[in-house]
Amino acid sequence: MISRTKCIGAVEIGTSKVSVLIGELSQSRTLHIIGVGECQSRGVIKGAVVDFKAASEATTAALMAAEQNAGTHIDEVYLAQTGGHLEGFYNEAAVNVSAADNMVSELDIDTVCRLAKSKNLPEGRMVVHHLRRPYRLDGRIVPDPMHLVGQRLEAGYWTVHGPEGKIADNIHVIRSFSLNVTELILSSMAAGAILATPEDRQNGVLVIDVGAGTTDFVLYRDGSAQMTGVVPVGGGHLTNDISLGLRLTEGQAEKLKLRYGRGTIVTKDRSEKVWLNGDFAIGDRQFSRHGIEQITSARVWEIFEVVKKKLGPAFSPEKTAAGVILTGGTAKLPGIDEAAAKVLGVQARLGEAPGWVAENLRDPGFSGVLGLLQYGLSSRAETASAPRRKAAGWVGKLFAIA
Amino acid sequence: MSQLIVNPPPARTWRDIPQSVKPRVMTSEGKKRLALAIGNIVGAVLVLFAAVWGIYEVIGVWETNPTRITAAASGVPLKDISVRTDGVLDKAWVTRTFDIPKGATLMGLNLRQLQQSLLATGQVQSAVVTRKFPDLLVVTLQERSPVARVMALLGGVATPQALMVAKDGSVYSGFGYDPTMTDTLPFLDGVKLVHEGSGYSKIDGMEQVSDMLGAARSNTPGLYRTFRIVSLARFAVDGTIAVKSTEVDEITFGLREDFMRQLARLDYILEETRRQSPFAPLKAVNLAVGGNQVPVAFDIPVVTADGRAPHVSVKPSAPLPFGTALFSLPNRNSSSSKRDF
Repeated sequence: MISRTKCIGAVEIGTSKVSVLIGELSQSRTLHIIGVGECQSRGVIKGAVVDFKAASEATTAALMAAEQNAGTHIDEVYLAQTGGHLEGFYNEAAVNVSAADNMVSELDIDTVCRLAKSKNLPEGRMVVHHLRRPYRLDGRIVPDPMHLVGQRLEAGYWTVHGPEGKIADNIHVIRSFSLNVTELILSSMAAGAILATPEDRQNGVLVIDVGAGTTDFVLYRDGSAQMTGVVPVGGGHLTNDISLGLRLTEGQAEKLKLRYGRGTIVTKDRSEKVWLNGDFAIGDRQFSRHGIEQITSARVWEIFEVVKKKLGPAFSPEKTAAGVILTGGTAKLPGIDEAAAKVLGVQARLGEAPGWVAENLRDPGFSGVLGLLQYGLSSRAETASAPRRKAAGWVGKLFAIA
Repeated sequence: MSQLIVNPPPARTWRDIPQSVKPRVMTSEGKKRLALAIGNIVGAVLVLFAAVWGIYEVIGVWETNPTRITAAASGVPLKDISVRTDGVLDKAWVTRTFDIPKGATLMGLNLRQLQQSLLATGQVQSAVVTRKFPDLLVVTLQERSPVARVMALLGGVATPQALMVAKDGSVYSGFGYDPTMTDTLPFLDGVKLVHEGSGYSKIDGMEQVSDMLGAARSNTPGLYRTFRIVSLARFAVDGTIAVKSTEVDEITFGLREDFMRQLARLDYILEETRRQSPFAPLKAVNLAVGGNQVPVAFDIPVVTADGRAPHVSVKPSAPLPFGTALFSLPNRNSSSSKRDF
């Protein structure tokens, strides 16, 4: 038999950078990461494409770098989707089990799922994800109700949707490199797929991906995603705050943020100063370290406060036993986990990529693209196994009608 | 519950977004990639087409493969023989010559052997034997035409048999010729038949004989009909062809001059002789000498019907034997017949 491999490109078009990973998927469904490419992002603000040409060129550069690194061409793309324009809602439905013996059939499951996904969207918006919560059969949570006996089957979906134009822009940026997007995956879901273990998801975990322009989060409970969200605030805002507060250029502010920024204030001595460049050249100035920490921690706290607010009653420390997992480029900010723990009231930690990930890809900035490959493959595997069920359902329907 | 609720319309998803974009919005690398992809597709289609065509050709070759035909036709017996010829030989003669055993298969025939059997007869100049599947043998013949006959004693037969002689000197037993045609053919004399294989070796000088006889037959058919024997006895010595006709015992043709001219002279001489000396038939005419004077010989002394010598000039100075004379031919302009000698 001829071994058929497929090269999948995982692409995340972020506000600060475009990241590309190339995974070689063999027929035995094993994935090898064979190429990586990065490029400074242009034309993207808060996860949305605002300059198509600039965004296309930056993405093309990252894709070409990855292809050059891998020594092969990408066959298809899994694309990350983020942006403050994304919204979500929960909708659930329930059906009475149709069989006389109260055994749940495929038809029952299909019906309840269809009903749960049937809520109309606002004009001009389209679905990015339907995230199903666990089924409930007579009130008890069941991962798969097929052939179980019960009277009432319930299903609920967290539906993530966004404006058609902005989603299309994101896809067309990839098309400008003559590649097809085969999977569009929410950035938070991608990060959650790679960082949260099945145990974490079962116990309840909040994964927060703090990027440059946006902060994506996903809340897992009972083994599945309960809620997702995007806060249009990220590490870039920290830089901006320093720039405004200390009257610096964006580049200088970014430099100070990376050197002295923190999620919590640890400097007690208010008179402690730090140099801007440290080279004592003309223009080099001193700034209060406490002041810098105060600015960055305030914004970090604010980000987590907003996340907490967005989660609302869905989040409770008691039901989030696995705590908070932080990732994204801004997650490298010292003390950010402490800030998250204090704001959200649960333990927080920096996400760690699985052991099979190479050392150069273990940076939190890559968790998104790594998760794209992981999530895309697992969702594809589920899709591939669906037709068997579909066929059974059709036969079931035939007999049901008869 | 209404049908609308049971089968609600599915919400639009990102998969409903058309991914096609116009090339002008693509980056230059994207355009290159697109062109490469199109090129690959075109190449793949061409390769596929070439492969299909190749398979088609291979199947064609395989179907016309002689070994496969052998296998397919080996069991098919010969049904008929088709004969095409430019001569007189017919299918019956070919069948007899081939002597193919009954029930022989088409592929079992040795075509080379059959061809040789045809060529061995001498009458066949060239033969092509081909198989036409499934059960037909096609024979195409090119035959020799006889220009003269020669008497020969064939093995086991006491009386000599007349054999045909073709223009190329081939000697063979003629088959299927019209007797009225063969009876008009003159006999050859002065030749030695040498056995070669199952036949005879070719006779030298037959090409010239054929030219002479052909010229006579087409231009002076009256003369040709009188030709009985053509002798090549002196052909090798002095390059002359002697003909014995019913009117003249020996007419000598040379090779140096055109046969047409020689025949014209002969015709004139015979005509003049008949007119002037009806009682003195010519015995010999030597056309090989050339010039305006032709040596002739008579059976009796040359006198005209009124007791005078004929006005044809007999060269007095020439010491000719008895009954011989030189026949002077007139110039073209002075001749009443305007013949060109």
